[in-house]
Amino acid sequence: MPDTTTQASEEEQTESPAQQPVIPPEFQRPPLDMGWATAPTERPPLPKDFGPEGFTLRKADAGSYGWAPDVWPYRNDTPRGAWPAPEAQRGLVAPYTIYEKAEVWAENAADLYEQGIRERWAPATDISWSSIEPLAEHTEAALDQIFTNISEQQYNSNQVLMGWLGEISYGFHEVKLYLSTQVFDQGRHVEAFRKRALSNGGGLGVQMPGFMHRTTYAAFKFSEFIFYTNILRASFLLALCGASDKLARSQADRELFEHTASDLRRHLAYGADHIKHYLRADPVNRDRVNTWVMRGEAMMAADLQRDKPLREALILALGDTIEEGKAALKELRSAQLQKYLRTLEAASIYNHGDELVPAFQAAIESP
Amino acid sequence: MAKSETLEMLRKEPGAEDMDFSWLDDPAAERGMRVAPGKRGLTLEDISVGTYGDPPEMTRNQSGRMRGSAPRGDAQNLGAHWMIKSESWSESAMMLYEEALQRQWSSATDIPWEEMPELDDDLELAMSQLCTFLTQVEFIAGDLPAKFAPNISADHFETGLFLATQIMDEARHLDVFRKRALANGIGLLQAGPGAVGLLTSQSFVDMTASLHLVGEGFVQSLFRMGEMIAHSEVDKRIFRLAAQDESRHVAFGIMHMKHLLEQEPERRDEIHTYLDRMEGQVGSTPNQAGLTGGGDTTEALTILLGGGKSETQMDEGFKKLMAIRKRQFNEYVHRLDVVGLSDRRERMDPMIQAFLEPRRN
Repeated sequence: MPDTTTQASEEEQTESPAQQPVIPPEFQRPPLDMGWATAPTERPPLPKDFGPEGFTLRKADAGSYGWAPDVWPYRNDTPRGAWPAPEAQRGLVAPYTIYEKAEVWAENAADLYEQGIRERWAPATDISWSSIEPLAEHTEAALDQIFTNISEQQYNSNQVLMGWLGEISYGFHEVKLYLSTQVFDQGRHVEAFRKRALSNGGGLGVQMPGFMHRTTYAAFKFSEFIFYTNILRASFLLALCGASDKLARSQADRELFEHTASDLRRHLAYGADHIKHYLRADPVNRDRVNTWVMRGEAMMAADLQRDKPLREALILALGDTIEEGKAALKELRSAQLQKYLRTLEAASIYNHGDELVPAFQAAIESP
Repeated sequence: MAKSETLEMLRKEPGAEDMDFSWLDDPAAERGMRVAPGKRGLTLEDISVGTYGDPPEMTRNQSGRMRGSAPRGDAQNLGAHWMIKSESWSESAMMLYEEALQRQWSSATDIPWEEMPELDDDLELAMSQLCTFLTQVEFIAGDLPAKFAPNISADHFETGLFLATQIMDEARHLDVFRKRALANGIGLLQAGPGAVGLLTSQSFVDMTASLHLVGEGFVQSLFRMGEMIAHSEVDKRIFRLAAQDESRHVAFGIMHMKHLLEQEPERRDEIHTYLDRMEGQVGSTPNQAGLTGGGDTTEALTILLGGGKSETQMDEGFKKLMAIRKRQFNEYVHRLDVVGLSDRRERMDPMIQAFLEPRRN
């Protein structure tokens, strides 16, 4: 690769050149103004007692800096707490479309952001790849089919989530920051499971039917998208990771599932807290969420019912015999449903077990 | 293909009546992959082998099928993905992705906040103003690549993964500069016109030209001169770590542009127009010269670089600021040389040309 002047050393060294520049005559130092120094913004307290978690966003955003208004008033990239430029000097109106707090907010976003950074991992080096032993060909193929499914669905969730970032106005920075960690997590899931599928004599399997993929792309509202990915899809994947006692064949497999589960718990926590906030903001939102719930369940059912390779792979991977595998798949589906229902409860949607979309219920009960 | 005796055995098992094992019997994806980790662990480059390592120049994959996996005829068509590799590909994406994962840092714990000294009031005000500016513009560099991410084909997924790391980095930059402004008693100050104009990019190459070659490159040069700007170890460390991140972003953009120009040299003039715009040669829209050198930011930087606001200090600070500007423009020209746009030097505004070192032979 050519020299791009960007090959960073272990830590980029900043420089202090003493060379005296020749200042072009057009460039003269403007007279001192310092109007910016009189901006009437809040003076925050000096932070202290950082503790093991350091200088967190919650500690930094003291006083009014931590208060997000119900409607963000600035149509550009003014940071919350800064003094806005006069209207005539604000430049272009930004293309953001989400200015209402209820559409993105979750009280736990700032904490989940810091947690996401603390719990980061690198698949290249944090997985014991050398612990993987050769497996029977059909067992490896079954695992690879499952890994293919995870990698693909996470790429889909990741792509669509990134697309939403540019819709969210600048004032809700906790949310944008948290979602950036989720983007980063999902990217890691894409490559980690791909690496696993290519590391033990197998390869990728068959792609998914894609009903949920289409549904995430087609979401008209950010909260709708979050329901599909952070509640429905994440609940199912987290419960799958919870079956690692049956699925994992090596230390590497266990680590993969454990790290992924740790990430997904944050995604679920954001999703549940956001939907709860959204529901509390306006009674009419409950009907909207119900529509998304029904739509999501129907599309998830379509995927489950049509994904024969995944079904058969799970049966082979979960049991020593096909009958054992089928029983274990039924247990897995039940665990996935329970995880989903508990997450809905955390989002203040109660007793939904009695109202499941019939096709979804059938896919769970007769996998 | 699974051994026929294994398949036979599976088919005879109780409960197998409703299973056909066709995915196992006749897999359409390449099998037999046994990739081992190298010195840097198991990297994307390690697994980019066989059919899995051959990103197609042109793809009709609109279903989100990951490169190398087996297609199914009834997969949903998402109709969102770019078909041509050169539209988004960067040869460095895999390497930079892995590097990004290894070099993540935490603004909460990797900055020695507890060692923050009490600074002279003017210096602290100036640092807070600079951080207000950086808080304002840094996540525009996350929002912009995010805008194009849904269009990256799963056949070229490495680009999507790299963009995810850039978004994470920019989040951390917004966060660390915000924290810095709030860490020493001043807080955020005056917001400016910001960098929303970058979001006008209408294509991936418009973005890499505007954001990576110009915007991020200029910010990288600024951060690399952080020793001159910073008056504490806290600030020096922030600039060092942020510069390291920016280096990856710039490298991605350079290699994308280089790839595109090699594959589609006829787009050369089109790319020049994006750079014309960023250099301020199209209309009067705010340009790069204003992005890191505009009014309030210029004054804050001048105070920081001079060590105060006396006339002597301001003169000294302004000289150093011009040194930074000179470096920004010359490093920009170097990037242009690398991507194959050496002829651009002659097209530049005389105000920029005045900063350039003579061409090296």
